[in-house]
Amino acid sequence: MEYKEVVGRRRSIRYFQSWRPVEREKIQIMLEAARLASCAVNASFLKAIVVFRDDLDRDTLDALKTPVSALNIELAPVHIYTFADMSAYRGAQPRLKQLIDVGALTATHGWSYKFVDEFVWPNLLKPLSEGSNQAPVAAAAGCDAGIAICQAMLAAVDEGLGVCLSGFVYEPLKKILNAPEQWLPLWVLLVGYPAESWEAGGQRPRPPLEESFFEGRYGKPFKADPKVTEQLKAAKMIQRPAPLPWRKQEIQALARMFGLPE
Amino acid sequence: MDSLKRPIEEYDSVKTWFEGLRVQSGVDPAGDPSRLKLLEEFCTFTGLDPDQVVAACLLIKDGRETKISIKGRRAMAEKIAEFQAQRSDASPGERARRGNAIRSFLIHNGILLQSGMQI
Repeated sequence: MEYKEVVGRRRSIRYFQSWRPVEREKIQIMLEAARLASCAVNASFLKAIVVFRDDLDRDTLDALKTPVSALNIELAPVHIYTFADMSAYRGAQPRLKQLIDVGALTATHGWSYKFVDEFVWPNLLKPLSEGSNQAPVAAAAGCDAGIAICQAMLAAVDEGLGVCLSGFVYEPLKKILNAPEQWLPLWVLLVGYPAESWEAGGQRPRPPLEESFFEGRYGKPFKADPKVTEQLKAAKMIQRPAPLPWRKQEIQALARMFGLPE
Repeated sequence: MDSLKRPIEEYDSVKTWFEGLRVQSGVDPAGDPSRLKLLEEFCTFTGLDPDQVVAACLLIKDGRETKISIKGRRAMAEKIAEFQAQRSDASPGERARRGNAIRSFLIHNGILLQSGMQI
């Protein structure tokens, strides 16, 4: 599938084929996509633990459920518990120098070993790595982890899978997952084959481009060019908007199939 | 029926339910009269009228600030499970339908409830 179509097809899938396992190799593809995501100071902020639902005992599975996510957690055969590693700034000094070695950070842009060793590391990154100011660390870690999660989600869509990010209750999982203390729990990425059609009722409503994006200064909307919009429709990035005419019937059928209330 | 002081369809919560079914779920409530019968049966089972069933899941402060009561909702979910299990002679699908009619009633009255898969 072409990239634009992958972006256009992604939906939060809330009905999974609970009985159909997800191939381990597809999970690996998702994790590789996450691993290759852009990240500040070449730090891997995203950490994740893959749990195959059927490896959990019933009590643990029940304990993970929130009122909103209970059904999704039950339906999705794979749960990827994601965390932001608040200690990821540690080791940034050699990693930045490695980026100089591989030609990513270069003298043309002012980078040198000396700049890293005598300015960037001691003045900027070392204090962050020591946790003296948690707010910027959390912001950077959360943002970069989100970028990586998004790449994993798009890779999943490209593999024909459905994905949905959901909140989770960490406490009952703590002992099982054994995640380090400095990992901040983010979301659980639920993965499975969609039980609903891939369109899932159509592309979700979003505010128009001009409402969220600006040019030059706040208040001057970034104007969408209708020709580009048409190109994106042709490339299937902009798709039929929800609700598609048959969505309610689809939900009724899914409710009957899974024995759910209407 | 003791718990009902007037015809069940006259209760506000029942009107809200039917409106929700029509508008949000695309279901014609008149198409399946057994829904109302099940709700009536549940009201008898709990000794509450439909509005009281909803109110039992809420925390209402000073008559305005309304929140879902964790305890109240949990207790009602257990009641529904009990109600559903009552008909041991019925098929699993029929039992699920009994419980889901009540869940649907509460859901459309703003009480988030999930039944889990019943297949």
